[in-house]
Amino acid sequence: MIEFEGVSFVHPTGVKALDGVTLKVGGGETVAVVGENGAGKTTLVKHVTGLLKPSKGRVLVDGVATTATTTAELSRKVGVAFQNPDHQLFSESVEAEMAFALRNFGFSEELVERRVAWGLELFGLTEYRASSPLVLSGGEKKRLTLACILAWDPQVVILDEPTVGQDALQKERLAETIRMLTSTGKTILVVSHDIEFLWPIQPRVVVMKSGKVVGDGRAAEVMAQKGLLESARVAQPQLVSFHGALRSRPTSPFVDPAEARRWIAGERR
Amino acid sequence: MPAMLEVEGLSFRYPESRRKAVSDFGLRVEEGEIVVLAGPSGCGKSTLLRAVNGLVPHMYSGDYSGDVRVAGRSVKATDMRELAQTVGFLFQNPENQIFMFSVERDVAFGLENLGVPRPEMRARVDEALRLLGVEPLAQRAPHELSDGQKQRVALAGVIAMRPKLVILDEPTSLLDPKTASELVGLVARLRKELGTTFLIVEHRLDLLVGVADRMVVMSEGRKVLDGTPADVLLGEEAEGYGVAVPSITRLQKALAREGLVSGSRVMTSAELAAAVEGPGGI
Amino acid sequence: MMWLSSGFLFRSGKSFYHRIDPRVKLLCSILMFVCAIIARFVYEIAIVVAFVLGVAAAAKALRRVGRTVAFTSLFSVLIFGLNFFVTRDLESSVLYAARFVGIVVSTSLFFVTTSPDELEQVMKTFRLPRDIVFAFVTAVRFVPVLMLDAMQIMDAQKSRGLEMQKGNVLRRIRSMVPVLVPLVVTSVVRSGELAEAMESRAYGAVPRPTSLVQYRARAADKVVAVAALLLFALTAYSFYVVLPPLGL
Repeated sequence: MIEFEGVSFVHPTGVKALDGVTLKVGGGETVAVVGENGAGKTTLVKHVTGLLKPSKGRVLVDGVATTATTTAELSRKVGVAFQNPDHQLFSESVEAEMAFALRNFGFSEELVERRVAWGLELFGLTEYRASSPLVLSGGEKKRLTLACILAWDPQVVILDEPTVGQDALQKERLAETIRMLTSTGKTILVVSHDIEFLWPIQPRVVVMKSGKVVGDGRAAEVMAQKGLLESARVAQPQLVSFHGALRSRPTSPFVDPAEARRWIAGERR
Repeated sequence: MPAMLEVEGLSFRYPESRRKAVSDFGLRVEEGEIVVLAGPSGCGKSTLLRAVNGLVPHMYSGDYSGDVRVAGRSVKATDMRELAQTVGFLFQNPENQIFMFSVERDVAFGLENLGVPRPEMRARVDEALRLLGVEPLAQRAPHELSDGQKQRVALAGVIAMRPKLVILDEPTSLLDPKTASELVGLVARLRKELGTTFLIVEHRLDLLVGVADRMVVMSEGRKVLDGTPADVLLGEEAEGYGVAVPSITRLQKALAREGLVSGSRVMTSAELAAAVEGPGGI
Repeated sequence: MMWLSSGFLFRSGKSFYHRIDPRVKLLCSILMFVCAIIARFVYEIAIVVAFVLGVAAAAKALRRVGRTVAFTSLFSVLIFGLNFFVTRDLESSVLYAARFVGIVVSTSLFFVTTSPDELEQVMKTFRLPRDIVFAFVTAVRFVPVLMLDAMQIMDAQKSRGLEMQKGNVLRRIRSMVPVLVPLVVTSVVRSGELAEAMESRAYGAVPRPTSLVQYRARAADKVVAVAALLLFALTAYSFYVVLPPLGL
């Protein structure tokens, strides 16, 4: 679905933000991109939507090189929820906000209406249908930006730091949404610092450092590599450190506290 | 001797809102304590913080009742600029609290406003730069700094004013975890070296468990829990109030409930592993 | 668009000219400015412009100042065209356009080599009220931040299928709305946060705030100031007495 072939990107300022990135994401995969600020995560995302074009190498989305198409066309397939909702909300109503992209893509009014209603329902925003997006709370704004994207049913969904400023309950709901999207076969890219949020989702994890991909694999494999995580300044999930600190332990780390508790209780018996 | 911070029966309602943002809230913080304030979005944490440094009611007016005293002085009756010498405030977004074009000028900003004479100002700026480890950045412009550096510079600007109480409003939410834990390390160091009192709002409780003396949980404008991190996080109620209890602490709690571990403090991953495998363990 | 307007934006440097006292730099720019105005012939203005560009080159700021010339070239053409249209006099039309270029480069030289902190100092020298000085400083400080916001907003909207370069003028103007509204909203949010931070750091506590750094004119600055004045007198004398009246 998404292919990076030896992609490098140098900013006009001369900073090398991507350095020989090769990465293949298949349809229906859920991939977390982690790394410290400035490691190149956002630059990576912008290459998928064609907002940036590689200085070297190429990026293919659904088999088409991003250089051969426009962001407008690519976004039909790739929906991105950027970090700050205030950077995109502008309409007079929540409903119009959701319809914006659909109209840009030339959906019929009848379809627009149906999709908007579906999105509002899914994210519990129906009661705000006619209110201005600006009066929503931070968490609701985040949900709205996600609803805006899912409304046009892109094959790829990218979430850029979705948990910033979100409390425990909001994060839990977000994780639910990601699971739901995975089950409907979407390809998902989550860029996040929030290791504790990512861990229970058990995505494929791509670790970035200074514009390079330095780790790539199943969450359980990557997160167990303490040295790799430390060099990339990525925190290790608490349950993985716990698992690593046990002298006798099951082969793979615990996904949630309940699993760990069951295992320990079993061992005790 | 008065406490560093005394909040008594504070209620506050913004004019455009029907609901009280803070409701009959009481809190007492002693000098040198590090207190973490937790609770879901919209529970009134931000408003409470602003009532401590005087933004409420001096900048945001509304229905105000009750009393807030910092080092014995009533916040409501004291000018904000005077309060600024006792209470420092570090905001969430570092970008929006750096005004000047060089780091050292920005660290001096508050002192310039207070009319501190130049030689003394120089000394205090240098001290703050040193304490926060940003001396090498003294001549940099804000756009040449990383987010983590910006947040340190902003904190240096607060510390240069030598406040007795420093408020941190989700200071790490835009930082990556390593940078965030470095900032928390600095907070612990400042308390040790300067005896500064801290009141911190933060969602990432795992970072703060090790340094906090107390945790206070707010819900719908009210104080619902108040105790040591262990009291709050190992108790049964916190999760119900939307507090993000770290996963390792949830495990500790579950194991304790079945008598598989004991202990009254919040453990780290390594400590919990040792406790599980220790005497009487697996 | 962005690289053009950067002609007036400060860029830090360590050249001799950068380190001159900002007030002396202001004096130099004013004198060059005046030279461009009092010059009577195009070639005299050319000498002034060449001199300014020479100073800019010495300050390693030639490219930035050059950008300003490129940025304002449209105005120069406009000035020439209007003049020529009204007076039908080629000579004076070129003169006016050239004079404009002279004014632009001398002003640009000042802004490109003077940091906002120094500008603030200059404004303080003129005893402008603190609020005005501070408003100016923050405005300049937040120009790059605002540009970054604008770019992020455009990225977000393009990712929702917004096409800004398509259709007729009306459609293009309409396509600006999804960018401008969030830009205004984020700026308002930002201003609110700035105001909170200012209040929290005792802004306005005393009527005459002190300053961490003090700009004291050094001997070298005084030498430059005197030299600039002498050079100015010499130029003015040459323009009116020594140099021959040479038209195009």
